[in-house]
Amino acid sequence: MKEDHYITFDNYLNNELSGAELASFEEQLNSDADFKQEFEIYKAIESSLSSKFENEEEEKALRNTLSKLGSTYIKQENSTKKKGKVISFLNYKKLMVAASIALLIGFFLFNNGEPVYSDFSSHQALELVVRSENNEAIVKAQEAFNSKNYEVALEQLTILSETTKNDAEIELYKGICFLELNNYVEADVIFDEISGGNSAFVNTASWYKALSMLKQQQFEACKYVLQRIPESADEYNKAQKLLKKL
Amino acid sequence: MSQKPHADHIYIEALLKNNSKVLSEIYLKFSHKIISYVKKNNGNSDDAQDIIQETLVTIYHQAKEKNFILTCPFDAYFYLLCKRRWLNELKKRGNNRVTIFEDDTSITEEQEQQVEETEIFEKQSQLFESKFKELGEKCRELLKTTFKIKSMEKVAEILGVTYGYARKKKSQCMGKLTQLVKNSNEYHQLKAY
Repeated sequence: MKEDHYITFDNYLNNELSGAELASFEEQLNSDADFKQEFEIYKAIESSLSSKFENEEEEKALRNTLSKLGSTYIKQENSTKKKGKVISFLNYKKLMVAASIALLIGFFLFNNGEPVYSDFSSHQALELVVRSENNEAIVKAQEAFNSKNYEVALEQLTILSETTKNDAEIELYKGICFLELNNYVEADVIFDEISGGNSAFVNTASWYKALSMLKQQQFEACKYVLQRIPESADEYNKAQKLLKKL
Repeated sequence: MSQKPHADHIYIEALLKNNSKVLSEIYLKFSHKIISYVKKNNGNSDDAQDIIQETLVTIYHQAKEKNFILTCPFDAYFYLLCKRRWLNELKKRGNNRVTIFEDDTSITEEQEQQVEETEIFEKQSQLFESKFKELGEKCRELLKTTFKIKSMEKVAEILGVTYGYARKKKSQCMGKLTQLVKNSNEYHQLKAY
């Protein structure tokens, strides 16, 4: 009895029913709720599994792409965990000699090598227009930021951002503090947010996103961001200069 | 509901076409917020990478099977999906005592709706797949061949049976699967939506 149901479902989905058979099938769909429910399930399974099996190869290829992108753009945890090692005094001496040689070689090589963050990381001084409240935090934040005391600056900016929500300038400088303190995740979140918005700091945020990528040595990502800084932006020249070195 | 695609639908198309250039933008623009969320809630960046990848693969399947059209910005839609997936993962790992750090991303009703659509799609696919695995080996083999090769004549040839027998067997196996799904708790939960 039931088995016939399923054969009819299959025939119907293959457009093989006609005339009286089709009419009676449709009639039963309308009048028999249980019949209808089973048909809906049958149809949904057929559609789902067909799509799944048909696209097995395509899914594999997509997963491949995504894994590659994931390891390019997402900094891996394990590689940053470094274990401290105990070095005996003798080895330590040898190491010092080796290190000073390396330093010398490095000195000659570096000028031609990959660009480094510190070459490009001169920040514009923080000069917040004086706002009515929280003057104290503003002064402290500016003093700390401009004297490169990023931890204190971040503290004060965080206080400020709580009272004046969504101020792109404050957020941007918070981002710079995070970047200076090597908290890349937080920094990138902020730069992404601002560069995707419509404040006056869109391009500045993109520039900093590129610097963050540079500092994390993700050179491809860095290039990608730099190439998208428009000619009209104040940061265009800097961006081009850095691009040439990459 | 209007089905006009949002400009960010390019990301859905990139998934369908495996366009690595456009897909890299997803990682560049949207992944950091997710990494930050996962890290604040007992995870690491490897976890975040998995969450992001599985979410994207799910969206790919939904687009492939159901012609999913993105009608809202990708950012909030994707973030919410990843966030909820991570919370589910934490539950699975038995981390019930973790205090969840909540953020104040506001989302619209339309975004919420699209997120739910994707989640229901995934739950349904997972249910079908898990019930499929409960079938006997012969049924699984036959159905798999049927779904991969559309022509039943060819299926019959490959399996060395007659066309009529292959057709009959197919609907029998599908019937069994229909019953398994119909009688499962998960199906009744899904139906409640």
